[in-house]
Amino acid sequence: MVLGDREAEESDWVENLWHAIPAPKARVEVTDPDRTADALDRGLTELAHGQLRGPAETSDHDHGAAAGHGEQPEADEHAEHGGHEADGDHGGHDMHTGHETHDEHDGHDMHRAHDGHDMHGGDEAHGDHDMHGGHDPHGGHHGHAGHDMGGLVDGLPMADRADDRDGLRLDRLHVPLGPALADWPAGLILRMALQGDVVQEVTVETVAVPPSPRPPSWGFRAFWDEPWLRTAAGERVSKGDAARRLCAAHLDSLGRFFAVAGWADMAARTRYVRDRALAGADAAELTPLVRPLIRRAGRSWTLRRLTTGLGVLRTGQARHAGVTGPALVADGDAHSRMLMWLDAVGRSAAACDETETLDLDGAEAIGPRGRVDGPVPPSQALLDVLPGLLEGTEFACARIIVASLDPDPDELAHVPAAGMLHG
Amino acid sequence: MAERTPLWAVFVLPALLVAVALVTAGVDAVLAAGARTGRPASLREVAVRAAGPGREVLRQLVQQPRRTRASDVPLARIGAALLPVAAVLAAVVLPLGFRSVSDLPDGIVWFNAMEALAWAAVWLAGWGPNSTLSLIGGYRFLAQGLAYELPHMLAITTAALGAESLRVGEVVDAQAGLWFAVWMPAAFGIYLLSAMAMAFWGPFDQPAGQDVAGGAAAELSGADRVLFLGGRWLLLVVAAAFSVPLFLGGGHGPLLPGWAWTVLKTAAVLAFLVWARRRIPTLRMERYLELAWVVLTPLAIAQALVVAVVVLNR
Repeated sequence: MVLGDREAEESDWVENLWHAIPAPKARVEVTDPDRTADALDRGLTELAHGQLRGPAETSDHDHGAAAGHGEQPEADEHAEHGGHEADGDHGGHDMHTGHETHDEHDGHDMHRAHDGHDMHGGDEAHGDHDMHGGHDPHGGHHGHAGHDMGGLVDGLPMADRADDRDGLRLDRLHVPLGPALADWPAGLILRMALQGDVVQEVTVETVAVPPSPRPPSWGFRAFWDEPWLRTAAGERVSKGDAARRLCAAHLDSLGRFFAVAGWADMAARTRYVRDRALAGADAAELTPLVRPLIRRAGRSWTLRRLTTGLGVLRTGQARHAGVTGPALVADGDAHSRMLMWLDAVGRSAAACDETETLDLDGAEAIGPRGRVDGPVPPSQALLDVLPGLLEGTEFACARIIVASLDPDPDELAHVPAAGMLHG
Repeated sequence: MAERTPLWAVFVLPALLVAVALVTAGVDAVLAAGARTGRPASLREVAVRAAGPGREVLRQLVQQPRRTRASDVPLARIGAALLPVAAVLAAVVLPLGFRSVSDLPDGIVWFNAMEALAWAAVWLAGWGPNSTLSLIGGYRFLAQGLAYELPHMLAITTAALGAESLRVGEVVDAQAGLWFAVWMPAAFGIYLLSAMAMAFWGPFDQPAGQDVAGGAAAELSGADRVLFLGGRWLLLVVAAAFSVPLFLGGGHGPLLPGWAWTVLKTAAVLAFLVWARRRIPTLRMERYLELAWVVLTPLAIAQALVVAVVVLNR
């Protein structure tokens, strides 16, 4: 499922991802939230009839497989991202697939390398298709500075070498993470230089946001920041709605955090409660749902032992970088940031029935990730501190640190409404 | 216990293991679905959820296979196929009641050797696809092996020490009175931890972790994937089942026949592991290693010492 209306279908990485998904598959593009159900039905029909797009995807197995594939992935993803779909202004393109969307397939020319380099041609009896977008461990880093090996194997660059932290010369791989990866902020790309599983260098990118042809007053708003942005723009938003959105936003972040920490059970429970919150459950229903989550995660001795000391961000450093949200208040590591989220979830779940108007009263509009009416979106500040926190960490720790900050690339596409502060 | 085991047992063993693995995976799937979408509304829904792993197997088998570029296909296939083979071979010394397919004189050593084949399997499956994430998964299992294997070997040695034999049948006989789990609790606890670690499952699933999108299994598809992930469940079942003859008195128990006790005890251990998985996030080896070497290994040595002194004074 591709959500959003910004030339998503033409972008290279979406196309490559589509190629890497095994058949049977169906691709659904949703641009109009009111027609989501239609689009999903169409996708299901397409799957059931095995009508697949393009010759490359036709395989012998399609018809038999359609039933087995079933509606499960579609339904799951639908539920998981219900909030996004309900949001008409949501222009970011999330990539939803029923499969593990586990690597980014860079815009790099894979089709060319694919031709004539297929050393597995003899395997055709298996009905294999060498995936065009395959899995390119080296991303688009041809000619990347610092390659001293320069060799190509089957169209892929060899690993180069670099000194590690102990001064040993070891193999180094250039790996892009994102923009589509399970439990990853959709649209975020981290280009990593890895030695083994130790992160050596990181550069942050996001999926390019083409300038919108529409006037800024049309006002694309990041879904999770919506109540505060609307209030700042002078619209009436109730305190309860803002609390509900805050609760769901933090539960969404916590879901990713638990999933990356390898706590699938908690991740699933958290996401279930998030969906309940977005579906409009009242405080009386939400409070008993969130309380066991908060207790279990807050008291877990194992989780504390596993996440303390990861990505320590002191207040001074955070303020200097312009971080304004929970990450600033937490003044510490991934675990303390998680505790901040848990605390806010508990409070906001109890407050989501309040009907009074959210009144900023001259105060700053603080969304789930920080101040939304500031000179830069809060996620930009989080992205700025990211490389410094990631370098030298082990891969799993790096994932936990990213999840504990959970920048939202949607915020970067936010166009401030007229009359607001510009940086 | 010198009854001869009929030849057909060789063919029944894998089928039995697969059945137990499917049931365990089904229970696990029901619990996972419960966490994801709330309580099931009807018994029928429970059945549908429990059949999830079976459907997934069928789906994998009919789905278009995927392959990465410049992958070493034979290597990855050997790795994937080795895992279930290792599990079944390890199960050869596993007694159902008081009979195993082959009660080797050094059955415990055999079990440990077969279980160590998994190291090679995961490494090959991780290396083969030429993909960074699966390579990281492969590396991780080697680190995990370093962490869990030392206390694990001391734990199973302790059981052998208590029975003064490496023959699994004699270990079971030695527990006719008192189960080893009762007077070697530390060894039993360590064994349960390493049962999950050798199957890289539950809190020890880092080699196939969610953060590396499935790790060593990330790039496997079709039959390879079924063999690898199915082999993982088999390994878990075998490792859990082996704790019964080692520590829980094997087929000994009142009223019921020996085989029924074995099945019951195995089910209880598996249920405990499936429950534990829900309570604990993935243990990262860079943090667990410290616990394994500083706490668990000395603890296992102390346990072995206590058992040795008791045995000498018997």
